[in-house]
Amino acid sequence: MARKFNIALSSRLSPFQKFYLLIIAGFILGPFIPLIIQSFAFRWAWPDLLPGTWWLEQRDRAMVPLAWDYVLSPYSRVWEATVNTVLIGSIVTVICLAICLPAARVLAREKFRGKSAFEFFLSLPLIVPEAAIGIALLMMFIRLGLAGSYVGIIIAHLIPTIPYMVRMLTAVYQGLGRDFEEQAMILGASRWQVLRLVTLPMLLPGVVAGALFTFLVSTNIFLLTFFLGQGQIVTLPTLLFSKIAGGTLDASAAGITLIVTLPGIILLIISERFIKEEAFGKGFGN
Amino acid sequence: MTKVQLNAVRKQFGGFVAIENIDLEIASGELVALLGPSGCGKTTTLRMIAGLERPSGGAILFDDQDVSEQPVQDRNVGMVFQRYALFPHMTVEKNVAFGLSVRGTPRAEIADRLEEMLDVVQLGQFRHRFPAQLSGGQMQRVAIARTLITKPSVLMMDEPLANLDTKLRGEMRRFIRDLQQRFGITTIFVTHDQVEAMELADRVAVIFDGHLAQYDAPDRLYRQPANLDVADFMGATNIVPAAMKADDLAETGVGAIRVAPRPGFGAGENVQVMLRSEAIDLMITQPTQGGVPGKVVARDFFGASVNYTVDCGAHRITVTEQARRLVEVDTPVWLDIDPDRVWLLAS
Ligand SMILES: Nc1ncnc2c1ncn2[C@@H]1O[C@H](COP(=O)(O)OP(=O)(O)OP(=O)(O)O)[C@@H](O)[C@H]1O
Ligand SMILES: [Mg+2]
Repeated sequence: MARKFNIALSSRLSPFQKFYLLIIAGFILGPFIPLIIQSFAFRWAWPDLLPGTWWLEQRDRAMVPLAWDYVLSPYSRVWEATVNTVLIGSIVTVICLAICLPAARVLAREKFRGKSAFEFFLSLPLIVPEAAIGIALLMMFIRLGLAGSYVGIIIAHLIPTIPYMVRMLTAVYQGLGRDFEEQAMILGASRWQVLRLVTLPMLLPGVVAGALFTFLVSTNIFLLTFFLGQGQIVTLPTLLFSKIAGGTLDASAAGITLIVTLPGIILLIISERFIKEEAFGKGFGN
Repeated sequence: MTKVQLNAVRKQFGGFVAIENIDLEIASGELVALLGPSGCGKTTTLRMIAGLERPSGGAILFDDQDVSEQPVQDRNVGMVFQRYALFPHMTVEKNVAFGLSVRGTPRAEIADRLEEMLDVVQLGQFRHRFPAQLSGGQMQRVAIARTLITKPSVLMMDEPLANLDTKLRGEMRRFIRDLQQRFGITTIFVTHDQVEAMELADRVAVIFDGHLAQYDAPDRLYRQPANLDVADFMGATNIVPAAMKADDLAETGVGAIRVAPRPGFGAGENVQVMLRSEAIDLMITQPTQGGVPGKVVARDFFGASVNYTVDCGAHRITVTEQARRLVEVDTPVWLDIDPDRVWLLAS
């Protein structure tokens, strides 16, 4: 009965309800519209609301839209930047998980002196401006020979991501009693088996959310990457910055921007699927 | 088949002593209940035997081997947790087979033993369900099956019946008893319900505040409690102070009562006399000899049995009998007390 009622309710939205949904959609999708238009423009001069010349009208002069032609060519370094971004993001996520899982376990389960102070300090990297951290790190890293290296960038990316991850995982661990792990141990599971067969699967929704978030944060970090990459390591955000640094958003910059959003969108879709299936497989809650 | 021994086992959490020098010997194949009020240390004791908690002192022996330092995985014990701790992301089948698959048992053998075990606990039709889709009794059977399939040498259960309703509790009690006899596993279970302990266990260990108060067979525990606390916990109702006139005669507020002599309780001692309510005969006519006179002041009818409260002057005595007859309130009566069923306790 209740189910039927809900479906009936959701399929018959009032104009008001539709209006608010549209507003939300506008704010979320709106920013993409000029980008998409731009990337298909041939010429779009200020102060026109829409491009003066579209690519379609000039098809004889360009096979693909100009912007995309450039973006997809090796000169744009888009491919290189994408690989770098995904690579750095993945490594950062894995290291972040490896550090934060045990740390979150301790924070969630143990009592120790100075715990609340520790929890407070966890948030500090989020409060201190990124630029300050970046400059300070750069000075150290130049000395250590880490500037302009993957290692340097990965270490830098861990700074803003660890606090988020630890917080997320601590909350998840708090919801997971010790019983399950102890039961697994009694049944003969080794530490590694307990982690692999019981702890991780039970923490999975939280771990996926945390990993996704870390990856997205990492792929969007500009300032730290820019400082520490020294121009030698290009990621999508730094590439984009170099394109728009002149103060104009030209067609190729718009194209790159769209590319920049791709890893995130793909990841969102995957995780959405994944989490849904996971929740479904578990039956009803618990 | 494993004999379990606790030798002067202590457990301290920081400055707090949870278990104080407990000595316990559980024979191979025996079913023992740990009984006591909340917070007395039952779970802690169980966890130490399982290896989840390390004793602060003393030793735990399996078949005369000290296992105090042995990690959980190597003890080959089974434990059913109070809240079952079924893995929510695994089906019934996966849950039950868990212990075998982590030990690397060959697939074919796992399948055989799984089949056999699901049969024992009658869960075959639920094998593909997730724990969240089971009832309390079914979850508990899964938990038991998951433990038994590993053939543990010692089986432990922490309040296995606490989460079940009354009818199911009775069923599960019989089920556990049958299983235990069938497999002959040394079993230790925790409860704070004295009826449950007496019905299930071969011997009961009563624990108060981390001390072992008494370790005895159910009937001895019930009839001959070691002290007032145990008597009280075992639900004794009629305990009255008395002075010993002779080895077999106690002077109470309701008159002299013949008692069975107990070493250490001689003439002149001040004692407490425990009269079990079902061991008192309610007479409508005065017996030829003895008999404590009184008057029925209340009657509680339970169907099969009936409780009378009899006012005997200084004390009110409760009498329980089969409801074959009903005596009206206000009827004058005499209480005939079998001396063998009177138990003396130190004041
Ligand atoms: N990890 C711990 N740290 C500190 N104190 C503890 C810990 N575990 C148990 N205790 C204390 O030890 C005492 C015994 O606890 P235990 O869990 O064994 O009680 P119990 O007899 O099982 O009680 P219940 O019937 O309520 O389950 C309690 O006072 C409890 O607070
Ligand atoms: Mg307990």
